[in-house]
Amino acid sequence: MTMHRLLARQIRQSTDESGKVDLTKLGELVSAAYEESDGDRRSTDRAIKLMIEELEQTHKRAEQDLGRAREFLDSIIENIPIAVFAKDAKDSRYILLNRAGEEYYGMPREEMLGKTPEQIFPDKIARVVNEQDRRVVDSGTPMFLEGHLLEVGVKGRDRLVNSRKLLIRDGGGAPQYLVGVIEDVTERITNEARISHLAHHDALTDLPNRSAFNAALGERLEQAQEAATSFAVLSLDLDRFKEVNDVFGHPVGDMLMRAAADRLAAEADGAFVARIGGDEFMILMPDDINREDVLGLAERLVETIGTELEVDDYLPHVGLSVGIAFYPDDGVNAATLLANADSALYRAKREGRGRVRVFESEMDQELRDRRLLQHDLRQALEQNQFLVYFQPQARVDGEVIGFEALLRWNHPTRGFVPPDQFIPLAEENGLIVEIGEWVLREACREAASWPRPLQVAVNLSPVQFQAGDLERSIHQILLETGLTPTRLEVEITEGVLIGDFNRALNLLRRLKALGVRIAMDDFGTGYSSLSYLQSFPFDKIKIDRGFISNLEATPQSAEIVRAVLSLAHALHIPVIAEGVETEAQRAFLAREACEEMQGYLVGRPDLIERYLDLVGVTVERRLYA
Amino acid sequence: MHIQYLHWNAAHGWRGANALREPAQLVLYFGSREGLESGERYRELRGLYPDGHIVGCSAGGQIHGDDISDDEVVAVALRFERTQVRLASEIVASRDDSRACGERIARQLAAPDLAGLFVLSDGLVANGNELVAGINGIVGPDLPVTGGLAADATKFEHTLVGVDGEPVPNRIAAIGFYGASFRFAHGCAGGWDVFGPSRKVTRSEGSVVMQLDGEPPLDLYTRYLGEEEAAAMPGSGLAFPMRIHDEAEPDRQIVRSVFAVDRNARSLTFAADIPEGCTAQLMRANFDSLAAGAGEAGRQARSALADEIAGDKLAILVSCTGRRRVMGQRTQDELDAVAAELGDDVVRIGFYSYGEIAPPAASGRCELHNQTMTVTVIAEAAA
Repeated sequence: MTMHRLLARQIRQSTDESGKVDLTKLGELVSAAYEESDGDRRSTDRAIKLMIEELEQTHKRAEQDLGRAREFLDSIIENIPIAVFAKDAKDSRYILLNRAGEEYYGMPREEMLGKTPEQIFPDKIARVVNEQDRRVVDSGTPMFLEGHLLEVGVKGRDRLVNSRKLLIRDGGGAPQYLVGVIEDVTERITNEARISHLAHHDALTDLPNRSAFNAALGERLEQAQEAATSFAVLSLDLDRFKEVNDVFGHPVGDMLMRAAADRLAAEADGAFVARIGGDEFMILMPDDINREDVLGLAERLVETIGTELEVDDYLPHVGLSVGIAFYPDDGVNAATLLANADSALYRAKREGRGRVRVFESEMDQELRDRRLLQHDLRQALEQNQFLVYFQPQARVDGEVIGFEALLRWNHPTRGFVPPDQFIPLAEENGLIVEIGEWVLREACREAASWPRPLQVAVNLSPVQFQAGDLERSIHQILLETGLTPTRLEVEITEGVLIGDFNRALNLLRRLKALGVRIAMDDFGTGYSSLSYLQSFPFDKIKIDRGFISNLEATPQSAEIVRAVLSLAHALHIPVIAEGVETEAQRAFLAREACEEMQGYLVGRPDLIERYLDLVGVTVERRLYA
Repeated sequence: MHIQYLHWNAAHGWRGANALREPAQLVLYFGSREGLESGERYRELRGLYPDGHIVGCSAGGQIHGDDISDDEVVAVALRFERTQVRLASEIVASRDDSRACGERIARQLAAPDLAGLFVLSDGLVANGNELVAGINGIVGPDLPVTGGLAADATKFEHTLVGVDGEPVPNRIAAIGFYGASFRFAHGCAGGWDVFGPSRKVTRSEGSVVMQLDGEPPLDLYTRYLGEEEAAAMPGSGLAFPMRIHDEAEPDRQIVRSVFAVDRNARSLTFAADIPEGCTAQLMRANFDSLAAGAGEAGRQARSALADEIAGDKLAILVSCTGRRRVMGQRTQDELDAVAAELGDDVVRIGFYSYGEIAPPAASGRCELHNQTMTVTVIAEAAA
């Protein structure tokens, strides 16, 4: 018998040197070993029992967690607005359907779960569904159908859906489920179509926009080159549309724009009409229409727009100018054709608006000249090509009371450029702000040097009111030159007040607070709204030269001058008449109690040297001062 | 190398055999805390070996040869042929001081021909993990460092370490062995298995665990030990160490034993830091698996001793008090298992500790272990 190692050890430990076994000690050791074994067994039992309990709890917790996760996922699937279903891969029997799915199929899930497509759908649909299912199961590749019409269900036949089917395999790789998703994309597709429409159409008029026009023109050019046909491009611009916007406001302007667009599109039926920005339109005419027909249409367009458009009880009056360029005569590429149609349009506008012009090669030259002039204008200031002329202003009895400062451009090669040619250009590119300041400074410096405290009147451009700090620069100039503010008079046209009326009014009030006098220029032309006179206490009204020169010729002019004078007098505003050239005109004005006059009768615009005696400088003093 | 083995008991005082022909360079001794704290044993050894370094610590049972005893003091006196021995010693005032102590000790002993370090440390105040990290940081990962934390049976009151003086608490000793002939082989293994569910360390601070899966850890131990055994915590808690899995160091096997109990907070203090967010799993063992683990440690140490050896070979066994508590009278089995692997020609001495220091089998860098048997074999190569 082999003895247990522990017992052998215990016996050895209980045996003394003589070989005698101490039974009591052995008993104690054996007993203690039993105790240890019992203790270890108890501890092991307890540990195993506790471990089982703990593992059971862990398992239960895990099951609960799993249940909760499942519920969570179920509630997501149940509530997403996309139809979701699952089927048995073997026989296409439905095993899951969410709420959106019920809506999609138009039946409660109880009627579908556990059933095959044949048991649910009409034969024709069941066949399609089964075919799709088999294809996905056999190939293992997902099916994805995009934007197709709803073939089944009650949501309406016009709905568009994306549908996909996906195979799920079991752990062994065998087909187990088919999961399907059906998403209603009707709104999305409609939106996409709308966005695409917006990208190519002008939002206000719904006409094709510039990019659509460019694309159409490019296409037309290709076709025309291949087929050797010809066609016309029309560039159109509404005349005075900006004024309508300014005077009647944008809502009226918008309505007018829509009405004008409708008329153009209706009249140019069959042509490609596009709004390419602001008040500009382009028309691409059909192929092989002869020049006369194109011109005929253009004339009709001018006529139809020229007919007053009644918009929201207003009758704003706009006109249309048209420029025409022909392919291939006036250009064989888009850039040239468009530029030449624009040149013709520019000419039409310059010649008095409401006209149709066909491109001629010298127009090209004209446009180039205009650009050259603009270029020269930039250098004029730094090269001291500008001059200030002074024209005397007098009481009707002849006593000179001041001068109007007038800008002149003495070009080194062109000579004197007419102000009506270069001032609009300077206003276009903003140079007028700098030039205007220069004129103000020169005029003030000059006036400050006069022994007699005469008035000096300076014209301000609307652009100066919009850009820069006009108040500060006038203040600065007055300080610099030492001119008494009350001697400075600024002349503004109503163009200053059209647009940002409140801003302009504020600026005028602040200028007036400096002591500067404010005169309303060109009164009687334009809208001459009486509300301007009411809204600001002008120091002077200047009657436009047109009325004075026609005094003898047309009785209406005399009546208008009388009316303006009586209105001004009623408002206690003195009036100055411009363009007085004859004694008869002066006599008329004197009779009608017009306070002041300006014109060749008093003196032409000239360098101040010519008027030194009027400003109180003796020639000698001037020469040797 | 020559070894003189000797032991002390109350009946006969010191007894020894094979007196050394030349003065001893180093004397190692282990005894119970009660047996050492008077300083008497040290003074007697000093009388016997006036010129040698004398280093020892309190234990949870002393190992000599095949036997374990609680009331005897065991010692070996060593004389090397070609090896020099130097000592370093530090006072560890608080747990936070442990890494710095380790660094200071290592700096004192570091030298190009340093061939091995054996460390004995206070087992309750010092943070063994930090101490070892401090030493590693100075001497590098390639130098073998072994040793153990002094013990106080399963009482956890205080532990003693003596370095050329009477053994006292808060002391750390390190013995440096120098020279090309010195051989230092080691093995370390446990034999424990994880059981039950994994638990999350939901709240901890340093080595104090406040919550496991949101529950006070004392409650868990009380359930597993039973009320009666739980009253004997922390000693009884040694039966269930914990394996810690730290995501930051997924390959590291960390086993930690309970060191202290706060019955009010129901928290437990472990032998080293347990970071919050780790996974913890209880471990247990049976007599056979622990013995087999010890045998594995012996096998590792013996197989690492490849050279031809001149003279005697000494094996220092440092095993965990937790193992002894689980094995009871079967503790002998683990000593037998080590002996069978080491062979008859190796002298064995050692002690039951509060923590073992040795590189784990997988990596070279030494670490603090709990619940293992570590075997350090020292010898000198043949010339």
